[in-house]
Amino acid sequence: MPALARADLETLLRARKLDRTLTTVLPLPSDTGPHDSLAVSATDVAPLDARLGGGLPRGQLSELVGPRSSGRTSLLLRMLAAATARGELVALIDVLDSFDVESAQAAGIDLDRLLWIRGHVVMNPGFCRDLNQRALEQAVKALTLVLQAGNFGLVVFDAADAPSDAIRRLPFTTWLRLQRMVEGSQTTCVLVGGERLARSSAGLTLQLGRDGSGIRFTGRLFDGLAVDARVVRSRTRPQEQADVRVSLSTTCA
Amino acid sequence: MYACLYRPPAPSDVPTPEAESLRSRPRDSEAVWASGGGAPRELKKDDMVSIAREFSPRYERHGDHVVTLDVSGLGRLFGAPRAIGEAIAGDAARRGARVRVALAGTWTAARILAMARPGVTVVERGAEAAALASLGIGVLASVIVTPEAESLRSRPRGSEAAVKKVDAFAIFRSWGIKALGELAALPASDLAARLGRQGPVWQALARGEDLRPLTPDLAEERFDGSIDLEWPIEGLEPLSFVLTRLLEPLSTQLERRDRGAAVLHVQLGLVTDATHASRLELPAPIRDVRTLRTLALLDLESHPPDAAIDRVTVVIEPTPGRVLQHTLFTRATPTPEQISTLLARLGALMGQDRIGAPAAVDSYRPGAFAMRAFGATSSLFTSRGAPPPLAPAASHSLALEPRLSRSGEGCHSAVISALRRCRQPVPARVALDRDRPVRVTTDRRGFAGGMVVQCAGPWRTSGDWWAGRAGTAGRAGGENPVQPVPPIQPVPPAWHRDEWDVALGDGAVYRIFRDRDTDAWFIDAVVD
Repeated sequence: MPALARADLETLLRARKLDRTLTTVLPLPSDTGPHDSLAVSATDVAPLDARLGGGLPRGQLSELVGPRSSGRTSLLLRMLAAATARGELVALIDVLDSFDVESAQAAGIDLDRLLWIRGHVVMNPGFCRDLNQRALEQAVKALTLVLQAGNFGLVVFDAADAPSDAIRRLPFTTWLRLQRMVEGSQTTCVLVGGERLARSSAGLTLQLGRDGSGIRFTGRLFDGLAVDARVVRSRTRPQEQADVRVSLSTTCA
Repeated sequence: MYACLYRPPAPSDVPTPEAESLRSRPRDSEAVWASGGGAPRELKKDDMVSIAREFSPRYERHGDHVVTLDVSGLGRLFGAPRAIGEAIAGDAARRGARVRVALAGTWTAARILAMARPGVTVVERGAEAAALASLGIGVLASVIVTPEAESLRSRPRGSEAAVKKVDAFAIFRSWGIKALGELAALPASDLAARLGRQGPVWQALARGEDLRPLTPDLAEERFDGSIDLEWPIEGLEPLSFVLTRLLEPLSTQLERRDRGAAVLHVQLGLVTDATHASRLELPAPIRDVRTLRTLALLDLESHPPDAAIDRVTVVIEPTPGRVLQHTLFTRATPTPEQISTLLARLGALMGQDRIGAPAAVDSYRPGAFAMRAFGATSSLFTSRGAPPPLAPAASHSLALEPRLSRSGEGCHSAVISALRRCRQPVPARVALDRDRPVRVTTDRRGFAGGMVVQCAGPWRTSGDWWAGRAGTAGRAGGENPVQPVPPIQPVPPAWHRDEWDVALGDGAVYRIFRDRDTDAWFIDAVVD
């Protein structure tokens, strides 16, 4: 009889989806039917969204990591365009002030919905060794303010190509603090860098790189990049780590 | 039910349009003046309004002598309409003024009757045309409502006096029309054919019909407050308490009037007898005290006063309140208050010129852009904006077509390849072989350089040569044989270049260009 009561209770909890605890993994979005737009932020790249369970998770720090010309910015602009198309407000903390408005417009971003914060980090600080450190801390403060304001659908901290020594000198608690700030909100916070920034604080890390076909030229035209995307860390879908590989081939527009 | 108060102008008054029209009409004007019972006491301009305000908050002033008010509902207090009229006249008499009062179902009829008949006149609803029928047609001159008058009505008071005389009376006299009833009985279409659009307007007035609803005047209200401090204060923290004390009643006042602050003025009187003034333009009507105080403090943090403060004055320019309907089915967006506070904080942190919404400019200049104030578009807060087209615009850009490597499923959603701009083009050394780049190197940290694996180009582009001399793009120094380069000119006015897309051995793809005037090479952007 007690065994029967326990089975009934477990069945009831399973039916109410209350059978999970904090120690178990969160339910996969695919398990609950269609992707929940309140839980994920679609990148609008269908194969990537399919593999990521609908897109980048909200309420977590996500990372786009890769070397130069690995398609980070292209994917980023695509995500921003998708977010603004959904009517969301987005913010971009552009650490190196390298955002190209023409590319953004071509990607379809609703520029009115984009809050662009231009940083002061420079590639060549000269003798001012701590110049970039101050500027980077300033950019992190700006990111903090934006996350505190809340209700932005997508917040991007673009530190790609930023001097790695300046990034490494940031306190490691920075990312933990940011993770705590974004937790529970419906904001997707994306960090873009040449290497992983948030480390263990990241919810999802997408490693981008050039695949075997590399860079294509057609006659006198640059055809584009061949990009390989790989999930190297996922808190919500740990079994997908190192398993998702999406290739992005390029053609002329 | 509407009532109209009319105070006949005293002979010493400056001629008004009403008086002018009355004097120009021998018979009617005599009747009006005779019925007035002599020159009334000189009333101040606001006296008529104060009489009307005693009975109804919905009143409209027509010049200095006529006020129309909505007396609907006063029957429960005074009884029959005649009692209402007598109460109004009695109130005016207690103030020492003799006014004419008319009550009718339309405010136009009440106004005409008040102009034409002495004492208290009451006309039942629906009997306005019959009551007006016997009046002389000249009385219409005092209530003429023309499009010109309507436009003038929106101007400051007194401008109604500038209404042009319409010479329709001469036409009516030539037709033998002397009474309003005769005009009201004319065929409307024939009247319009002869007098144009004004014909039906005259006829509607003759029938006592309202051409527009009564537009109540609202008392002009000032939203300001000030505090004289016994002890001067220094620093922003004590000032925040003072600002809160000033802003709280103003916020309540704004809320009562369904208004929000459009502009916030903070004037600080300093001990040096100087005044430190700041002006904050708000992107949306705001009346939240904390938000207003934070914005004012952030602005003062950026521009602090020079000395201690002994007087604080806050003036708010009001604007109609914002109606915001939230929905359960769309994502919440930051409120204007949050955006304003965020922008103020970011402006203080990064600089006002470093934050905003990007905007494309109508130029072929590589990397050209502009910045606008973020949140300037009200649709960001009121409704969901129209989604922009995701199709790529015509530009020198590339598309990424994603596909699954293992499953082989194709996807045709184009991803536009993007550039990362170097705001200051990076000087580079480029080795050429048969006019094509074969090696790119630079001293700039972070750019490795290397052998060119593949390249595409050149694409020649130039512009703004009419505005200045080309050849200074990205020049960090160096000599110029023609004229010296201005030391501070981050964006040169002209460009003339050959652009190349080059893929280097390390896998990076750069957009480089050769300045055709100086023959110098620069890295302009990175394809990413």
